[in-house]
Amino acid sequence: MPPPKAAKGEYIETDTGNKISRRSQIHGTQHIILGGKTVIQAEAVIRGDLFRTATVPTPTDANTPAAAPNPNTPSVAITVGRYSYISKSAILRPPSRLHRGVHSFYPLKIGDHVFVGEGAVVEAASLGNHVHVGKGAAVGSMAIIKDYAYVLDGAVVPPGMVVPSWCIVGGRPARIVGEVGEGYGVEGAEGVWLERGIGLLDDLKRGC
Amino acid sequence: MSRPFPYTYISCPCADMPVPDPARKRKSRESPQKSPQKPPQKPPQKPPQKPPAEQASTDQDKKSPAKEEQHEEDDEEQTFDPRSPRSNFSLYPPEQLLYCEECHQIKCPRCITEEIVSWYCPSCLFETPSSMVRSDGNRCGRNCFNCPVCTAPLAVSTIENATGNGPQQGPWVLSCGYCLWTTLDIGIKFDKPTNIRSQLQKMTDSTAPAALDRSRQGSRAFGDLKHPLSSYASIDEPSNAREHDGEQAAPKEDPAAPPMGTDARFAALKSFYRTQIAETSNSPNDHLSSEFGFSSPGALNRLMSLYTSSSRLSGLYGGKQKPKSKPPVMREALTASEGLQVAQENNEMDMIARLQSPECGWDGMASIDQRATQSPEARFVDDLLPLPVLLRTKRAKRCKSCKHILVKPETKPQSTRFRIRLIALSYIPLPTLRPLALSSSSSLPAMAPTTDLNSLPPLRPIHVLLTLKNHMFDPVRITLATPPVTPGHVTTKVTVLSPQFEIGANSDVWDEALQGASAPLTSDSRSAVLRGVPEAGKVWDKGRNWTTVVLEVVPGTLPGSSAEGGDGNPNTETNDEDVVAVAASKQDEDVLEIPVFVHMDWDADAQLDHQNVGKGSKPDDKVTRELAYWMVLGVGRIQPSL
Repeated sequence: MPPPKAAKGEYIETDTGNKISRRSQIHGTQHIILGGKTVIQAEAVIRGDLFRTATVPTPTDANTPAAAPNPNTPSVAITVGRYSYISKSAILRPPSRLHRGVHSFYPLKIGDHVFVGEGAVVEAASLGNHVHVGKGAAVGSMAIIKDYAYVLDGAVVPPGMVVPSWCIVGGRPARIVGEVGEGYGVEGAEGVWLERGIGLLDDLKRGC
Repeated sequence: MSRPFPYTYISCPCADMPVPDPARKRKSRESPQKSPQKPPQKPPQKPPQKPPAEQASTDQDKKSPAKEEQHEEDDEEQTFDPRSPRSNFSLYPPEQLLYCEECHQIKCPRCITEEIVSWYCPSCLFETPSSMVRSDGNRCGRNCFNCPVCTAPLAVSTIENATGNGPQQGPWVLSCGYCLWTTLDIGIKFDKPTNIRSQLQKMTDSTAPAALDRSRQGSRAFGDLKHPLSSYASIDEPSNAREHDGEQAAPKEDPAAPPMGTDARFAALKSFYRTQIAETSNSPNDHLSSEFGFSSPGALNRLMSLYTSSSRLSGLYGGKQKPKSKPPVMREALTASEGLQVAQENNEMDMIARLQSPECGWDGMASIDQRATQSPEARFVDDLLPLPVLLRTKRAKRCKSCKHILVKPETKPQSTRFRIRLIALSYIPLPTLRPLALSSSSSLPAMAPTTDLNSLPPLRPIHVLLTLKNHMFDPVRITLATPPVTPGHVTTKVTVLSPQFEIGANSDVWDEALQGASAPLTSDSRSAVLRGVPEAGKVWDKGRNWTTVVLEVVPGTLPGSSAEGGDGNPNTETNDEDVVAVAASKQDEDVLEIPVFVHMDWDADAQLDHQNVGKGSKPDDKVTRELAYWMVLGVGRIQPSL
């Protein structure tokens, strides 16, 4: 089902070809990296402000060198690859973990050609390339979704779950219910949206 | 898993043509029955005649109802019915289909065989060597566990988490992040965060948590045995096992001794029966004690001789003239150390009492789903044990008829690459469907710019854009054909506005850019978009390797709203029996699915397949190849009334 035709000026286009709805809520933009050609629809929420703080709340945390990033470089909260698509009202939130009594955020990495469905909540540690997250799905904290995985609509991926490549997960809690075919994701750049019949990209080309 | 509208499915031709598999004789027996109804040659004959006839009478309304009905009856023989129960087994999403280059045929999951390339744990993504798979019971041997209550993965976490001082030595538990179950609920803690499976195995050899320490001590001997599913030869010698028996005989007689765990009991029974067989075997060359174990041919021989020698049938089997002396009889396990488990005297009464007790309740009982993966004795939530994660496999796929490999993934679990991957989408055009959003200048202001596919108004024509995208390096000629009305009770009229067209080759994008040929194409497509009105005989839009055509669809009326059917629907059979038939018919009658026959031909390079020259070769080393198949376009759902 195609969305209503994008009004003129609804989307801002960046230098790298990202199209970001003016009605999306993006916090902490300096902590977000968009790879280019990515679409962010209206009312999507991207929480770049939840980055890992370089300042250490407890001095014990500084003992571990790996946990203390260089304070000079701005830490990246969310990375999104190319040709990804964040649907309406989806929420991207970096995962967090209570580690040794310290609550800290970890970066959320999203690969290329990723589709995040309407109203989905993604708190994963990483979404690989060509991942499909269905409408209304929730991906729990620190979950790892590998390439070409498919999260069905309304699924709840429990925290820390690993979804291997080519697997379809669904249900609450999500479990592996099948595998996508070998031809999944080979069609090309806009294949995911064409496959879904959304075709918004065409509308965008004309509308903007 | 139903797909959201619009979707496209492709029908594998294997539904019509039995797979020429010599191993399956049943197929050949079936084929004479099927052939009069659905000869495989028939669908390819159809398209050349069909589309012109359809185009000649684009206005289907002129046809008399009688003619329409007869037409439909003819089509019953030929056209693909997406609603028939058979088609369930042949319709697949395009990405699931493979293509065999030897057979020149689409291959669906039913026309292939699979071979396991590697086993891996879906949670830790480590490969398990095939020699270990059996001994691990097809489950991950590391730290991966699923919650026995909700099946979510369990995480290893420490109990003393309050402070972050120093290296943590505290006991470890498995905890579920979804339902917050932990192994503390069943009284299990782990000393170290690694190798939890073997730790758990040692503990659960006795399931009585009160006697945990004792059981750890007592079951160590059995813990040293390998897993019961492991190869038989690796278990200790019988004499060794008997020594264990002797050691443990005394404590086992003690009624307070904890009962053996399931695995330990299985191992004990196995070793017991092995010694029994060794003792009672009458021939020294009995191979039962060899590594082949129970499933060896020797075991069968022994059983046969057991029965034939004592019966009068023995005379029939030549060899032994005289009935032999009775073979020594095996005895059954008698003591607990041999693996015998006597049902406790008031076990069931206790269980019933516990079920009735207020602290158990409904929540305290394990559900059927939970019990299915647990030991048979587990009745309560307290009895549930963490489940090691089941392994998954990577599989290679072969064509069933010619045995060529179609898909061969790399063995590494993390890799998503393939050594061989012959998917159908590399050969057949990828169909995608999209409703045509009419521009605001359309004559129908009432129609929303976007059609809600989940409620299509009946009898109101809509236009659907069908895009076919070619992935081959040769241009393809396509002929589409649809039945004028869709099969089923709800007859929807379908017209392909331009049934014959070409799709360009999937050439390199840079070639096109360098040639500068893209400019006219794109401008053409722009103008097509601006044109806005679909015309018969013209493709809607065209790109480098794709072509879009328009389908005009007039959704039929649902039988429930038969009052509307009298207006324009040519075959209105709104008599009572029809309504009854529809009422009795299955659901999803309102789903509008259009069967489309696709015939494609292209000129392929001949040197690739010189063995099939009989196809009709061209002088310039090109072979015309053709492929024909049915596909089903799921357009939407028809709403019950206007």
